[in-house]
Amino acid sequence: MLRNYFKIAWRNLIKDKMFTILNVTGLSVAFGIAILLAMAGFFDLSYDKFHTNADHLYKVYSVQQTSKGPEASVSQPAPLLEALKAEVPGIEKASRYLQQEAIVSFNEKEINMDAVWVDADFFDMFTFPSLKGKINNPLEKQSSIVITESTAKKLFGDEKAIDKTVQILINGKDHPFNISAVVANNLPQSTLEFELAIPFEKEADYQNNKDTWDSSYHDVYIQLANGVSPKQFEKATRALVDLNLQEQIANAKRDGAQTNADGRYYKFDILPVTDVKFTKFKNGYAEVSRSTPYLVLGIAFLILFIACVNFINMSIAKSGQRLKEIGMRKTLGAKRKQLFLQFWSESFFVFCISVLLGLMLSILLIDSFKTIFRTAVSFDLLISPTIILSFLSTVLLITVLVGGYPAILLSKLGTIQSLKGKLDHSGKNKVRDGLIVIQFGIAILLISGTLVLREQLDFMRNKDLGFNKEQVLSFPLYGKKDSHQALQLLRNELASNPDILEITGADNNLGLGKDGSLSKSIYGFEYKERVIYTNSLTVDYDYVETLDLKIVKGRNFKRGYANDSLSVVINEAMVKELGEKDPLTAYVTVSDSIRYPVIGVVKDYNFEKLDKSIQPITMFLNNNEGLYYAYVKVAPTNMAKSYDVIKQAWKKIAPNATFLGSFLDENINRTFRKEEKIAKMITAGSIIAIVLSCIGLFAISLLLITQRTKEIGVRKIIGASITNITFLLTKDFLKLVGVSFLIATPIAWWFMKEWLQNYPFKIDLSIWSFLAAGILTTIIALLTLGVKTLKVATQNPVKSIKTE
Amino acid sequence: MIKITDLEKYYKTEELQTIALNKLSFEVKKGEFVAIMGPSGCGKSTLLNILGMLDDSDGGSFIFNGEEVIHYNERKRANIRKHNIGFVFQSFNLIDQLTVFENVELPLIYIGVKKAERKKKVYEVLEKMQIMHRRKHFPQQLSGGQQQRVAVARAVVNNPKLILADEPTGNLDSSNGNEVMDLLTELNKQGTTIIMVTHSEHDAKFSHRIIRMLDGQKVIENSLI
Repeated sequence: MLRNYFKIAWRNLIKDKMFTILNVTGLSVAFGIAILLAMAGFFDLSYDKFHTNADHLYKVYSVQQTSKGPEASVSQPAPLLEALKAEVPGIEKASRYLQQEAIVSFNEKEINMDAVWVDADFFDMFTFPSLKGKINNPLEKQSSIVITESTAKKLFGDEKAIDKTVQILINGKDHPFNISAVVANNLPQSTLEFELAIPFEKEADYQNNKDTWDSSYHDVYIQLANGVSPKQFEKATRALVDLNLQEQIANAKRDGAQTNADGRYYKFDILPVTDVKFTKFKNGYAEVSRSTPYLVLGIAFLILFIACVNFINMSIAKSGQRLKEIGMRKTLGAKRKQLFLQFWSESFFVFCISVLLGLMLSILLIDSFKTIFRTAVSFDLLISPTIILSFLSTVLLITVLVGGYPAILLSKLGTIQSLKGKLDHSGKNKVRDGLIVIQFGIAILLISGTLVLREQLDFMRNKDLGFNKEQVLSFPLYGKKDSHQALQLLRNELASNPDILEITGADNNLGLGKDGSLSKSIYGFEYKERVIYTNSLTVDYDYVETLDLKIVKGRNFKRGYANDSLSVVINEAMVKELGEKDPLTAYVTVSDSIRYPVIGVVKDYNFEKLDKSIQPITMFLNNNEGLYYAYVKVAPTNMAKSYDVIKQAWKKIAPNATFLGSFLDENINRTFRKEEKIAKMITAGSIIAIVLSCIGLFAISLLLITQRTKEIGVRKIIGASITNITFLLTKDFLKLVGVSFLIATPIAWWFMKEWLQNYPFKIDLSIWSFLAAGILTTIIALLTLGVKTLKVATQNPVKSIKTE
Repeated sequence: MIKITDLEKYYKTEELQTIALNKLSFEVKKGEFVAIMGPSGCGKSTLLNILGMLDDSDGGSFIFNGEEVIHYNERKRANIRKHNIGFVFQSFNLIDQLTVFENVELPLIYIGVKKAERKKKVYEVLEKMQIMHRRKHFPQQLSGGQQQRVAVARAVVNNPKLILADEPTGNLDSSNGNEVMDLLTELNKQGTTIIMVTHSEHDAKFSHRIIRMLDGQKVIENSLI
């Protein structure tokens, strides 16, 4: 019997090849794309879940009440760890965590590496399986370090790594460390990334900071015992807050800060480690949002939904052609169940073929998908019984629901009704129309989303940031030389080159450089009996000139002015913060008592990503502080050549350091990766959504037009023109697209408005983006309908009325 | 009103060419009621399609109301058709999705008659055809005779000068058939020219003149008046 079902199913499928091709193509593409998107979405959601103790691991953050409201921070002071361990019950393990570059030498090799400075508990808390060397507590000795497999390869090639000694540059001096363990490479879904791990106590500033509560510069992770809640943790930390943070609390009171709901000025809280990747701090609250992976999964779902709608609509539309068959089968004694199985087996057949083709498509596309959407997802990560089982159940569920609905409708038909070949379309047309409205609604939603997203991205890319991003190149000053000295050597090296216009340095980069490093340094000081926070930036001479910043008052640091290294240049936002009529009378207090006068004010410029408003910034000219980045302004001509010249010069100065130079406009564009990824996903999603919707529309119009051929002939005979006929055949569909537009636009508007809230610098939402999406969809739908419609409208009516 | 001279029509397939109309000539005067008879495949329907400007001829001349229309394009022919010609078919060819009223109203929409006037004209003609009470019904809800009356109503609603009827009683029983023939006769009396293709000698007797065809040619013409 089953064989018979499949045999007949196969015959029916090959009987109408066009229809089968449209159906299978739509479903296969949808399955293929949905598989890729779902993989990417689930991959993102799996961040940091691989740690065996993931459910008990937390990151500590603090919330300080200030006169401007609560402010949260994950940076903690060095003594916090011991205080937490001593006073908070339920902390089983804890580790500080500081990510910094380290120059590692072994024999002739000198490599700049991503290092983390952590406590001994780190490797017991987190799952970074040891492959060689000590399995437990590999950082027990302070002279030990842990490296990853690929680091071992970089340093020692195929030689054994365990017990080898390497030198690490700390405070300008090489220190020997012994390799105690080699761990597996970091998984792509880990937010904790490192090439080597070094005991925290060995960190350059540790000795100065180990008892200091007012210098926060590293993260803290803890492992809590079962049953300890974040609230209990917060309560347990209150005593240590009161004991150690008296000054901060007193300042907050004096500055008029409001207490939090518990009547406190300062609190410690914790964040599950699996939420870290998705957390943004807003007004002192940790906002956990998994919107990006959910958006990706949402698009996957919508694409599958559209393809399933096509399948249902096409099956129902086609049912009209099989009424006589149904009637005849019923007359001959077929039961409803048998008819259901007959039709369902056809759907099952189509679904099986489509899933297989979709799977093949996703395997074919995975590499391009990974490149285009910058995801580290791979099939290997997903080969687990749970995932395979859920995939199979999803496919089965879709097959049962989507294939089952038309099968139920057809098997329910009465015998006489079927034999007469008449189908009461009214009810089913409503379902069909509703589904088409949803399909096109989705397409319009995604298209308008794409348009707005791209508009905002263009706006951000082209916005005048207040500095020269086109002509300035920056690169990290890696290497063992003192950075000020290295910068001077660079100046000497390039002095005679007319294409090199200015050279300077700073301890921070603008945008995201090729080193992938982003950092900020916040400095707080007392100013006229209140605390003022400012971004702090150590710069070299010519910073303002190199970046073409505008001095609005006073002057920039100048050579020959002996006191300039004890002065500051600030931006306009900082002027507001200081609240002085004449900013040149203001000062910044350093080390409790020394006042650094403001000698100049620069016009506000976007030194952070455009999702942040311009904050106060203070520039210091301090020869004792390291500069981490060089900035070189080049002439607008020969920029590529200048890049090479700088690269060669740097090679002479630091032969062992890699040159990671890039122009600031490239750096800025790199900061939009997340937006670009979303834009690409939505663009791809909307293209696929509209193509799939049109495949469905095309197939349905094909069937409906065939059903109406005679009517078209009659209308032409009694006077309808080609325009009348075309209008007649397309108006119903266009009406549906119109309804989709009316429903989708407010939803799209709301979503885009919410999304734009993330950006202080944003476009104004205009109705045109939404109208454009509607018009584009209408045109595409019209073109889809047009092909067949025009053919029928111009057909000889005598032929049409003979169609019975 | 109509004058055809040496009208030709061929149907070509890859292998052979069939002559449907072979240099056919005749004339129909205004106000005449002409029946065209002949065995199946003699070219009756082809002739009617050409006279109705639904199909092209392959040669000859076709003068309609003093105008040579043989080389007119689709648009011009459609224009003449919708203002001058009404059609009645054997299988009624009503549109199932439209009510009786809407079916009859359709030709008026296509010639741009305003809504109020359309309603007036449709009511008049429905009244005349005695199917006013059925105006809100769909074609499937009517008997064959009623459906053909609706079809006739639709054919005459815009006062065409010519009605082309292709076996108008072919799908009807004798009593309904007679009713339809009476209707056509009445219309003819009011001045409408009628050309009717039929197999029925009985129906043909309602006409003024019978043109008998064979193999695409006129073989005999009998005047009944």
